[in-house]
Amino acid sequence: MGKAADDVLLDVRGLSKHFGGINALSGVTFSVPKGSIISMIGPNGAGKSTFINVVSGIYVPDAGEIHFLGADITGIPAHIMAANGIGRTFQLLELFNSLSVLENVMVGCHAKSQSGMFACGLSMPSALKEEKRIREEAMESLAMVGLESRAHDPISHLPLGERKMVGIARALGMKPKLLMLDEPAGGLATHEVEGLIRLIHLLVERGLTLFIVEHNMPFVMSLSRRILVLNEGMKIAEGPPEEVRANEEVIKAYLGEEVC
Amino acid sequence: MSSVLQSKFLWLGFIAVITVIPIVGSPYIVGVMCFIAIFGGLAVGMGLLLGQAGIFSLAHPVWFGLGGYVSGILAVRGIASPWLGSIIGAIFVGFVSYVIGAPLLRLKGYYLACATFGLLIIVQTSLGQIKSLTGGHEGLMGIPPFSFGGFVLETDLHYYYLFWALCLACLWFLYNLMGSRMGRAIKSFHDSEIAARSMGINVPLYKLKIFIITSVMASFAGSFYTCYLRFAEPGIFGFSLQVQLMTMVIIGGSRTLYGPLLGGFVVMWLMELINMYLGKVLPRMGAQVNALFFGILIIVILIFMPGGLSGWTDRLLNLGRRTIGKSSG
Repeated sequence: MGKAADDVLLDVRGLSKHFGGINALSGVTFSVPKGSIISMIGPNGAGKSTFINVVSGIYVPDAGEIHFLGADITGIPAHIMAANGIGRTFQLLELFNSLSVLENVMVGCHAKSQSGMFACGLSMPSALKEEKRIREEAMESLAMVGLESRAHDPISHLPLGERKMVGIARALGMKPKLLMLDEPAGGLATHEVEGLIRLIHLLVERGLTLFIVEHNMPFVMSLSRRILVLNEGMKIAEGPPEEVRANEEVIKAYLGEEVC
Repeated sequence: MSSVLQSKFLWLGFIAVITVIPIVGSPYIVGVMCFIAIFGGLAVGMGLLLGQAGIFSLAHPVWFGLGGYVSGILAVRGIASPWLGSIIGAIFVGFVSYVIGAPLLRLKGYYLACATFGLLIIVQTSLGQIKSLTGGHEGLMGIPPFSFGGFVLETDLHYYYLFWALCLACLWFLYNLMGSRMGRAIKSFHDSEIAARSMGINVPLYKLKIFIITSVMASFAGSFYTCYLRFAEPGIFGFSLQVQLMTMVIIGGSRTLYGPLLGGFVVMWLMELINMYLGKVLPRMGAQVNALFFGILIIVILIFMPGGLSGWTDRLLNLGRRTIGKSSG
């Protein structure tokens, strides 16, 4: 394996997915280098969320390959993808509303723990020890997003901005190598977006690779090393922010929308 | 006071109350409490599936009945003692619930309810028809009483302690389980299956595991129960039991683990009261009055306390916890 392949975390080739007659993704090819921030933009219905769902194993692609850390992981179920190191958040949050904030993040630690049903049911020392470790790790994740004080609150007591942060903390509990954020800035106030940007920089400093799907243009432009533009399931542009901003096809796809 | 200490306190208190009841109570109370341990315990398993794992299974009496029949048949034929038979029954039920649960649990919501209802009817009919093995509708007669070594369990009091030991052991196991990573996983896929899968939770496998665990618990309850009755009959394990369990789950509330047991306590004692007092006024209307009364009670509970009685007591407990927390700093 060459040196170039070692630097690539996620490599997607010719990825396609259709639902009935709709081509949600057709032949998307690109790669995510280690330790970078790559973003994906595109109008509504461009296939951005479908892309995350395919890479995280929720959908099986109709064609194409996904390579993660050099291994072919196409079509592997989501729970194994998670254990392999692909963490994600959801556009519609998908938090566990019957659990507290801390417990939500503790579910994130699931893939990195192994006590079985019987060890847990009989409260064996190994299970109790692991439980303590999970609790500490979850608190660390919560501290990273600044929500330790909310640990024992029910999800329903939190405003949207904080809920989004719980989603990120939960994904961090998985200790992922690649973190995919589905519209993390959507619906956030300006000061919350600033906090999010600080958090993302902190995560990259710690060696995490981020893949961000987002509508908020200034946010994406300021953060990303490369931007990928999707329209009607096809990649129409890819490159550094300045290049993408000037691309005519991108402007056409966002017809009427101002690309800053 | 930490919540761990508080829960230990509640457990010890509960065990103490259960131990003391036969000493202070009459034989009649002990008899009713025997049924509460068995049916309340069954309702706990069903409530856990329904309220926390989101598995709408109507097959709980099947596992209860199969466990009872397997150990009963083995004991009647002198193949295995009831004690050994209950373990063989549990292994059998574990296997059957695995074979049936693996395909069936892929169904969701009402579809799963329909399929498990079908299973309930099939098993009940089969138990009535395979006469050579089960004794058919006349029932399986002559099941010997439970015994440990040389000690034979004969009185209600003996079974009272046996049933409550089983009930508390299952409750303790499930309590630990639901407070652990496994319990969080189970609750999480009820809230959002897609998120649970993305967190590394193998949802179909976990559904199957919790389904089998509660089935095996029901199987033990069935084995113990038929030894207590000294008799088994398909009607005991049919749809009417399912309705009764559902009543307990709804009245007690399935959002907490102990809710269905509380429901069992309330339902059984209400039934006793109805039979005791209304029996005199309307001698031949007991069943109808019961059905009408519990029908109305379920509607009232669903409208005014959707969390059931335990939703209400849980709020009281939490309130207490918060005020204690505040006053101690």
